[in-house]
Amino acid sequence: MTERPWHQLAGIRPENTKYPVRASIEGEGIVIFKTKSGYRGVQRSCPHMNATMMNAELTANDTMVRCHLHVFTFKLSDGKGVNCPGFKIKVYEVKEENGAFYGRLAN
Amino acid sequence: MNSAADSFVLKGAHVLDAEQGIDKVADVHVAGGKILQVGPREVAADTKIIDVAGNHLSAGWVDIHVHAYGTLGFANPDTVGIYQGVTTFVDAGGPGIGVLDQFMELLGHLETTLFAGAFIRPMGLLGLNFIEGDVRTLGEVPITRWVDFARQNRDMLRYIKCNAIGDYGPGTLKLTKGLAEILNLPLYMHIGEFQLQNPEHLLAPEAFRIAEAGDMITHLYHGNLGQVLDENGKVLPVVRDAERRGVIFDLGFGGYNFSWGVAEKAFAQDLIPHTISSDLQQFNVVRPVKSLANVMSAMLRVGMTLPQVIERVTRNPAKAISLTDRAGSLKPGMPADITVFRVNSGDYEIMDCYAQSRRADRQIEPLITFKNGKRFDVDMTMGQDENNWFLQFAEDHVPSRAARLSDRQRGFLDSLASSLSSVTWEVGSAERLDIEKALALQDVFHQQRGRNGLPLKDALQAVYASFLDQSFTMQIGLLLVRLEQPFVVGRLRDVARKHPIAA
Repeated sequence: MTERPWHQLAGIRPENTKYPVRASIEGEGIVIFKTKSGYRGVQRSCPHMNATMMNAELTANDTMVRCHLHVFTFKLSDGKGVNCPGFKIKVYEVKEENGAFYGRLAN
Repeated sequence: MNSAADSFVLKGAHVLDAEQGIDKVADVHVAGGKILQVGPREVAADTKIIDVAGNHLSAGWVDIHVHAYGTLGFANPDTVGIYQGVTTFVDAGGPGIGVLDQFMELLGHLETTLFAGAFIRPMGLLGLNFIEGDVRTLGEVPITRWVDFARQNRDMLRYIKCNAIGDYGPGTLKLTKGLAEILNLPLYMHIGEFQLQNPEHLLAPEAFRIAEAGDMITHLYHGNLGQVLDENGKVLPVVRDAERRGVIFDLGFGGYNFSWGVAEKAFAQDLIPHTISSDLQQFNVVRPVKSLANVMSAMLRVGMTLPQVIERVTRNPAKAISLTDRAGSLKPGMPADITVFRVNSGDYEIMDCYAQSRRADRQIEPLITFKNGKRFDVDMTMGQDENNWFLQFAEDHVPSRAARLSDRQRGFLDSLASSLSSVTWEVGSAERLDIEKALALQDVFHQQRGRNGLPLKDALQAVYASFLDQSFTMQIGLLLVRLEQPFVVGRLRDVARKHPIAA
């Protein structure tokens, strides 16, 4: 199996100090969180009622992300809904290298 | 004069009791868990006096729309009841006829008096967004079972609920109305949010047409499709007609169903809910609902007077669910269910469900609750505690409470695991849940329980303790069908055979 390629993220600069922050990968909007174990990207809106994930918060020792609107909570590892079975978000690996951000789908 | 041992006087509060026309500072005398009198009365020298001067006091608050049970419920429902000033509440649709036995076994021990507003579908509310199979289960209304249950548990049932949503016409509403008539109970209909359902055909107007005197419609001030207002903001004639017929309008704030814009326009036209309810559940207790008190503060901001607000959480809901013999007033002889509260002045922000807020200069804050004379100090933080509302399965560890299961419970889990190992099921998607399979899994659970001769509560607790760290309650078939079959079987076996238990 070949390793999935990394794509340079648009719309985000290393001097960003405030997270979460919007970015895009291959033309698709994502939101990047800075967690205790590094950067992680998620899709731009919650699959429940389309609320922006910019208002979401990290929880469970930064292993989950929780939408602000109805506390729907998703695992950052695989995007699976924790308290909302059947719901899932896309999550992205994100890394910073030589002053640029790169990402790829994690699930 | 009564003996002082079980007597006390609540002294100096401003008492509001619509039933007796009381709106003044007065002492409330309690003895033996009942109200003796509101007003001056001779007391024994050693009678306990509780000084509540400067505060308000009313009969204990009644919330006819909460979610205590199932996928919307709480680990400890008392946190949104007695600890928030509410002495009586009704689970709005959590259980249906297929799980009312589970509901009663699990939630009969609360400090807050809990009743069932049973749902038309056997499994009860499924919560979340599953496109609920109202139509698919239209044939599943076992009249004889309902009637038999109601004969034996008349007191538990307070209304029959259905949702006025979906694209398959008003059949569900009419069928639920028919069942409610058979059982001589009010019909309670949800208008409001659709979740993932496609609202091509609005059933809300149909709900107002079908409802008769004493039937209830909840989410009066919702801001979704199917509002009580027309496109020009005028109250719809069909709503006025229902009001004239004696249909009861309930607020049902909820996570999706209260709009400042709708509330203000409707209130200005004198369309006012008869009852104020919260619709508290695990997805809205953090925000925007928070508590019944917060919802009451919102109603003050809409324009109700304090006595109007209090009447709508005491006398009116007690009448709506035929409970005036036990709740809703401070008449002599009534149970001493009492809420002491304060009306704070300041600058407060109150959110609706559509990210709109209003500044308010008053806020209702409950302080002390009495249930049959027993005192509970209000603690608004308990309901907000994540352990109380964040329902997650213990996927990577066995809950520590599984270690406390009895040998009989473990034996039951072992045989349940064996039975389930020959059953297959698919975990549902956000849109679809296999309700029939959930009911089939519930049947397997009951069969094994019967064979093991285990009481229902012990069997339920054994399964919950295998998968949940906190004491959430859930329809057993729904719990199982939400998890992958190999995981369920493996976990039940691990617990049954006392495999190493992680923290």
